[in-house]
Amino acid sequence: MLLDFNQTKKILSKYKIPFCRSEVFKSKKEALKFAKIINFPVVLKIMASQVLHRTEIGGVKIGIKNKEEFKRAFDEILFSTKKKKINFEGVLVQKEMKGTEIAIGMKRDEIFGPVIMFGGGGIFIELLKDVSFGICPLKTPEIKEMIKETKIYGLLKGFRGFPKVNIEKIIKIAQNLSKLSLKDKKIKEIDLNPIICNEKEILVVDAKIII
Amino acid sequence: MSLDKIFSPKSIAVIGATPRKDSLGRGLFKNVLEYQIFKKEAKIYPINPNRKKVLGKKTFSSVLNIKEDIDLAIIAVPAQIVPKVVKECCQKKVGGMIVVSAGFAEAGGKGKILQDKILSIVQKNKIPIIGPNALGIIRPPLNLNVSFSPATPKKGKIAIISQSGAIINSIIDKSLLEDYGFSTIISSGNEADLKISDFLEWLKQDKETKVITLYIEGITDGKKFLKAAKEISKTKPIIAIKVGKSEIGKKSISSHTGALAGSYEIYKAAFKKTGIFEVETIDELLDSAKVLVLQPKCKNGIGIITNGGGYGILMADYCENLGIKLAKLKRKTIEKIDKSAVMHPAWSRSNPVDILGDASPQRYRVAIEALLEQENIYGLLIIETLQIMTKPIENAKMIIEAHKKYPKKPIICCFLGGKLTASGIKLLERNKIPNFLEPKRGALAMKALIL
Repeated sequence: MLLDFNQTKKILSKYKIPFCRSEVFKSKKEALKFAKIINFPVVLKIMASQVLHRTEIGGVKIGIKNKEEFKRAFDEILFSTKKKKINFEGVLVQKEMKGTEIAIGMKRDEIFGPVIMFGGGGIFIELLKDVSFGICPLKTPEIKEMIKETKIYGLLKGFRGFPKVNIEKIIKIAQNLSKLSLKDKKIKEIDLNPIICNEKEILVVDAKIII
Repeated sequence: MSLDKIFSPKSIAVIGATPRKDSLGRGLFKNVLEYQIFKKEAKIYPINPNRKKVLGKKTFSSVLNIKEDIDLAIIAVPAQIVPKVVKECCQKKVGGMIVVSAGFAEAGGKGKILQDKILSIVQKNKIPIIGPNALGIIRPPLNLNVSFSPATPKKGKIAIISQSGAIINSIIDKSLLEDYGFSTIISSGNEADLKISDFLEWLKQDKETKVITLYIEGITDGKKFLKAAKEISKTKPIIAIKVGKSEIGKKSISSHTGALAGSYEIYKAAFKKTGIFEVETIDELLDSAKVLVLQPKCKNGIGIITNGGGYGILMADYCENLGIKLAKLKRKTIEKIDKSAVMHPAWSRSNPVDILGDASPQRYRVAIEALLEQENIYGLLIIETLQIMTKPIENAKMIIEAHKKYPKKPIICCFLGGKLTASGIKLLERNKIPNFLEPKRGALAMKALIL
């Protein structure tokens, strides 16, 4: 079973995994208030458990720079849910992040137990299979080694316009995930994808937790 | 549970021993009998209710009819009868059992039920069992061959634990033509009870074993395997080949030993975590095992010496692909070679060190000694191509001498050639310096030595 947004946020915060500031709203007014607090540009995402790929139904709006754009985008999402007869659960308002996308995940292998996966986000993981695995519990040098094995590491060190990021922070996320895997045995699988990394911060933008 | 009675038995019962020509039961009994030639006090009992004698030995109709204790019982009877025989062995309180019979989990359905049946019998009685569907075990240093292998290999320092029996047989036959041997060979079969992890723990204290090689189709006790491998690889290098990486390969595994092949990526992670050196071919498995027996391990930073520029570059390429670092030559090292008076003025002055086609044994000596003296060169790959002035035997002597001076720095040779090079290679190998006829194999062997 997939955990909902608030349960997911709670688990991540319990293990000190930094999540990009985001909230779910049903009211446009409340949503706009929050957008102003976290500052534009923001991203809107439809919350609907029956939808697998949000982009395919026009449920993701990016690069929203001001109040007007915000209102239009919110209305468009509402309209498409009505048209497609989707049960409306709310709209997620999230700060728009720029940087290199990576992914970290945890799954339980039936033979070796919990395993952590590290890889490049987006096409790196899907097309280039740029991933490495480590068996829990993982120590810092082991995670470092896992990161170095991937191609995305070249970008994370800073490469032609790609920001140089703090690898230690990435290691911390993987380590906390390793701790989680040994403590919270009811959690079967976790997908932190993407995690966006830039010079300033490294934040989880989307997370799936399966229990 | 101690496995000593299985691996150092004082008495062995061979259940299913038969005089029938070309039969498994005859081959097996013949192998076991050899033990008595060297160990007179060892007791060997053929068990066969339908025969009076097997190869001159009086048979018993059941282990229960033997008065003396039985340390090891090896069972080679049709699968359906195995549970009954296992029960009798438990009643007899044997020290351990090996079941070579096939037709268990690897055959699916009814076979799996039969396997579970024997497992529950031995577990109740707390008696360890190897197999079923195993070739058996061989310990050349004790002249103990409790298997139906076609030959007994020479004794040596390499241990094999294999989930395939056929691979063991081919390796044994191959090794007989070459200059290496084995400490212990274990065919683990379907691993109903004893698994690779149990054998690793036993090999940890086996004084004859220096290096452990694994042929893995699937691990079922992941956590125990990780713990055992991590612990043992600290003192005895472990090399593994994992099969069933492809989809087709996986399918033949499930119909082979009945083990579940986990995702290969996870196995790779497990090998990395436990310090297991992973190889891709059986030749690589043996190459790296041999080299680990003969030469010390070293830090990453090596030197290449060659009398053929092309092969030097080729070797450097292989090293880079494998993550082997080539150390930069220090000025002192270059000066030493320059001042030697025997070196050709056009030598490369960089690593790989090309001492040119007309290199004399003296040039080899100067280059080898200068490089070994440089602190951050931890090992050498030495290439010799055969030119009209090349002297393989003299070169080998230089290398052997230098290695005696620096015994902590491993040397791997690639004397590349055939008939005219053979005598030099023989001399090297007699002095425990491994030689490979292909630079890629030499590079991989060096990789196995790097800490």
